[in-house]
Amino acid sequence: MMSDTAFSPIATIAAKDIRDAKRDRFVLIVTLFLALGAVVALVSGAIALRTDAATYAAAKETLLALGKSVDQISAPEFYPLKLMRGAIEQIGIVGAAIAILIGYRAAASERGRQTLALILTRPIRRWQFLAGKIAAGLALLGIGLLAVLATLAVVAHFASGVGLSADDLPRLAVTWVAAWAYTASFFFLGFILTMTVRKTATALLLAFAVWLTLVLVAPQVGDTLDPDNQVAGGVFKSLSIAKPDQVEIMKQFATYETLRDGIEQASVTKHFERFTFAVLGIKDTYTGVPLGPILIEKQGDLIWIFLTALGLGILAISLSLNADRLTKAE
Amino acid sequence: MSPANLIARQSLRLTLRESTVLVIAALFVVLVLVSAWLGWRATATVNLIFTDAAAFLQSQGRALPPNPVLATSPLSLLRNVAVYVSLIGVLAAIVVGNRLIALDRRSGVLPLYGTRTGDSPAYATGKVLALVALMGTLTGIAAVVSAATLLALPAVPVTAGQWAQFWAFFVLSGLYLLAFGLVALGAAARSRSESVGLLLPVTLWLVLTFVLPSLTGNLLPTASINPVSALAAPPDAAFFQWSAWTFGSVSVAESYRYLSAGLLDFLPEGRLSPAAIPPLATLLIAVVAAFLWALRGLRTLDLTRSDYDV
Repeated sequence: MMSDTAFSPIATIAAKDIRDAKRDRFVLIVTLFLALGAVVALVSGAIALRTDAATYAAAKETLLALGKSVDQISAPEFYPLKLMRGAIEQIGIVGAAIAILIGYRAAASERGRQTLALILTRPIRRWQFLAGKIAAGLALLGIGLLAVLATLAVVAHFASGVGLSADDLPRLAVTWVAAWAYTASFFFLGFILTMTVRKTATALLLAFAVWLTLVLVAPQVGDTLDPDNQVAGGVFKSLSIAKPDQVEIMKQFATYETLRDGIEQASVTKHFERFTFAVLGIKDTYTGVPLGPILIEKQGDLIWIFLTALGLGILAISLSLNADRLTKAE
Repeated sequence: MSPANLIARQSLRLTLRESTVLVIAALFVVLVLVSAWLGWRATATVNLIFTDAAAFLQSQGRALPPNPVLATSPLSLLRNVAVYVSLIGVLAAIVVGNRLIALDRRSGVLPLYGTRTGDSPAYATGKVLALVALMGTLTGIAAVVSAATLLALPAVPVTAGQWAQFWAFFVLSGLYLLAFGLVALGAAARSRSESVGLLLPVTLWLVLTFVLPSLTGNLLPTASINPVSALAAPPDAAFFQWSAWTFGSVSVAESYRYLSAGLLDFLPEGRLSPAAIPPLATLLIAVVAAFLWALRGLRTLDLTRSDYDV
């Protein structure tokens, strides 16, 4: 069992990093940037939904005035959490980039100030130094995401015109945990590269290249290969083929679909998207489904996210630091 | 040789020695190669789906709609190239723009340049020339790779007019990359820290690619990087008409998307940019603005000092 003294240096370093972050306001600025992007996406979605609702109301009024049934037009769905689709995608893309920056700064700060060697001359183990840095970075990331999701919840409550229910809050809490674990993977990526690559700017570039490949290119390739995305409005819609018949036809393309799905699954971003879209009911098949069965069905995606974060976390904490080499380089 | 040309030649040599630049540029070229195959594979699959669907519809005694593939141009097979230009191509442009200045600032050779050339205009001209040469080379390689792929793919005859559109698309792609390269050049010259010089253009790119399209047309971030979904009509609401008209005029990523869709023949019929300023004008204004930003940054760069706040 570890004594309190083992954790004391960790707490000291973590507290110092959090104090630094509060002072230079970098994390605050990037969190505000993420919140802005996410809120813009949510409000745009709300405006589009209100337009649909107004169109539906006008069509309904016309049909009723003509004495016809309103069954022939479908009412727009009013699920406030569905409005979060764009915001979740912003967290998936921009949130991951911000996590890389926080990881980069956590590592680069000591290198840039040439204080790394000095810290390591103190009676502190290397893992304790790394753990302190990681704890502070993860805490900042978690608080930032909590602030963003809380803002989104408040905006969704008022912008949707329907309001959130008590059932929506645990869904948001689960989304926060998943977003935290997901962005932690990118925090570790930025941190590991900056702690190992000789030049910090090169480390940042490499981290962005990995981010681009995992977050944007892999899902984009999978999305592009989706036959339904090749024709504006969808290929099956253009051929007037109903959903059950679509499934039947697509059975002929099982290998193609497996390959496409495999490319998408290689990206942790896709798992984050699939999990959160199900939990928040953004994907139609999960709208209105209780949280418990969704968590059981989607546990594979959640495990993938956590294992990615855990694996990178273990790698980060076991880094062997060459203070002399890292301090001399920029 | 003029001082500007000397600086340009030296900068080219230095930048091309950077492994990061080479890796990101190589990644871009590979993705351009892959994207043509992706377009061909996806189109061939839609064609096969149509064949199956036609048999199914006939067995039901239903009318057969036209095959959507027959309405597509061979150039549209390259639709993903436009996406990769706006993703990895832009990242490569930012990296190149940043390295052109950051390498000099980090290595401490700025005062040496100052004593040799004497003035900052020669330095600025040399750096801009180097960037233009590098962006031209990158786009040229991407164009040659795409042309070779298009020629190698089975059953895709391309007419002379379509080849003209093809080359026009790559000229505009080069300009789009140049705009981001210039922004990175200017940011690297103005920033006190090397990382901030890199982060400024990346932030601008994120805003232009993912935030503005959401504001102008309720476009989801993932739809922004799908060549077909990104061209969906915005919701028919007064707010989006207004935001697309105003913000759409500064949304360079959307302008590039419209231009590339038009030149590569995958712009839906009747779809026009809702922005107040036409897409080509927006792109050209962006290049000029980025050039002025870079020039101002380079002209104010102190050639007697050479340092970064690390």
